[in-house]
Amino acid sequence: MDLSQPIEENYANPKTCFFHVFFKASALAFYILSALFADSFVIIFVITVVLSALDFWVVKNVSGRILVGLRWWNEINDQGESTWKFECLDQESLALINPKDSWLFWWTLYLNAACWTILGIFSLVRFQADYVLVVGVCLSLGIANIIGFTKCRKDAKKKIQAFATQTIASRVSSTIQSAFSIV
Amino acid sequence: MSNSYSDSIPLNASSQSDIDEIENLINASVQSGPATVLPARPLSPPRASIPVSTSPFIQSNIPPPPPLSSSSSNQKVPYVPDAPTPPPPVGNSSSILATGFGPTPNTLTEPVWDTVKRDLSRIVSNLKLVVFPNPFREDPGKALRDWDLWGPFFFVVFLGLMLSWSASVKKSEVFAVAFALLAAGAVILTLNVLLLGGHIIFFQSLSLLGYCLFPLDIGALICMLKDNVLVKLIVVCVTLAWSLWAAYPFISSAVNLRRKALALYPVFLMYVSVGFLIIAID
Repeated sequence: MDLSQPIEENYANPKTCFFHVFFKASALAFYILSALFADSFVIIFVITVVLSALDFWVVKNVSGRILVGLRWWNEINDQGESTWKFECLDQESLALINPKDSWLFWWTLYLNAACWTILGIFSLVRFQADYVLVVGVCLSLGIANIIGFTKCRKDAKKKIQAFATQTIASRVSSTIQSAFSIV
Repeated sequence: MSNSYSDSIPLNASSQSDIDEIENLINASVQSGPATVLPARPLSPPRASIPVSTSPFIQSNIPPPPPLSSSSSNQKVPYVPDAPTPPPPVGNSSSILATGFGPTPNTLTEPVWDTVKRDLSRIVSNLKLVVFPNPFREDPGKALRDWDLWGPFFFVVFLGLMLSWSASVKKSEVFAVAFALLAAGAVILTLNVLLLGGHIIFFQSLSLLGYCLFPLDIGALICMLKDNVLVKLIVVCVTLAWSLWAAYPFISSAVNLRRKALALYPVFLMYVSVGFLIIAID
């Protein structure tokens, strides 16, 4: 109990947090270090982009679910239109989410996008079109996740509000009903 | 219920109508209550558990089948009990004890391995639908309903790698050019279809054009292994024809008849140029 409690106060899901940060950090680190050592561009490109894509998948499917309880995806309905779907945990579980987890989640997302933007500016300044391509791909993956989860969070807040007013309305009407039945 | 009120309690007409109103409110809120209590949507799981050999797309309205709820159990909080092993190229394999969030299973609480399997099976089924003959090609609008960009990503990177390995000089440029050409080409082709007044969804079209690269991937692989010019020519012609055959129904059904050629010609052009790249690499 003593050993596990400090861990729970810090991060509820340390391994998920680790992987959430790991792919982003390794993509950035690999890109920066290899650009310094000037290896074959193909290897740099492939490994960086693969790490970024894996990170995108992990954030979207795993750490988004576990750390903040949100999920987003795109569906095409029967009429052939594309709709964005958002999913969130219900009220009680959202309250149980560790604030440190969600802090880490959001801040690493933003930091990741900021780092790639800075690296992109460096590449632009040096007129290295190849590296701009790599940065462009990684940046677009990061931004896609940011936009998706931000929309999902707003949607979740709306749902919670709607649910809260719904509960209040139903409770008010049930009290009225019970009041009438007593009378 | 309103009858019982009027029987037991003498009320005047306005109070009775008020009570009716309140009852309607109560009934309405009770009925819509359960729908809003469960915020999760179970629509995507049905596609996952359906075996790949049948068409997964038409059944998107079927409620989630029982096997998916097998993983839901009794813990209160989504919690990772054991260490995720170092991820294989496609994802983690940690398992999460799903919670009992009401009666419907949802994608929020499924184990990670389920997600991986679902995405992988989606790639395979999309590939089969696009590239291989199957009865659902007649309805291409519905066929690529479950688009995903992972398959195209792998195929484009694979093609770039093949071309790069086959090249004896300037490997990096070859790879970068191939990747940029394919990515930008797919985007531009999609915009072309959309601007011609076609009805296709942006990501669906990107996904389609990526999957149609699969035959050319095979062609590039064979050309890399066998360096004979004649063999290369034949292989590339065959795979090019296969790619175009695969792409044709989707693109042509998206635009109206008079503009079919306008939509198809740039696709043809792009795949032919990729074919030339494959042949010309030495």
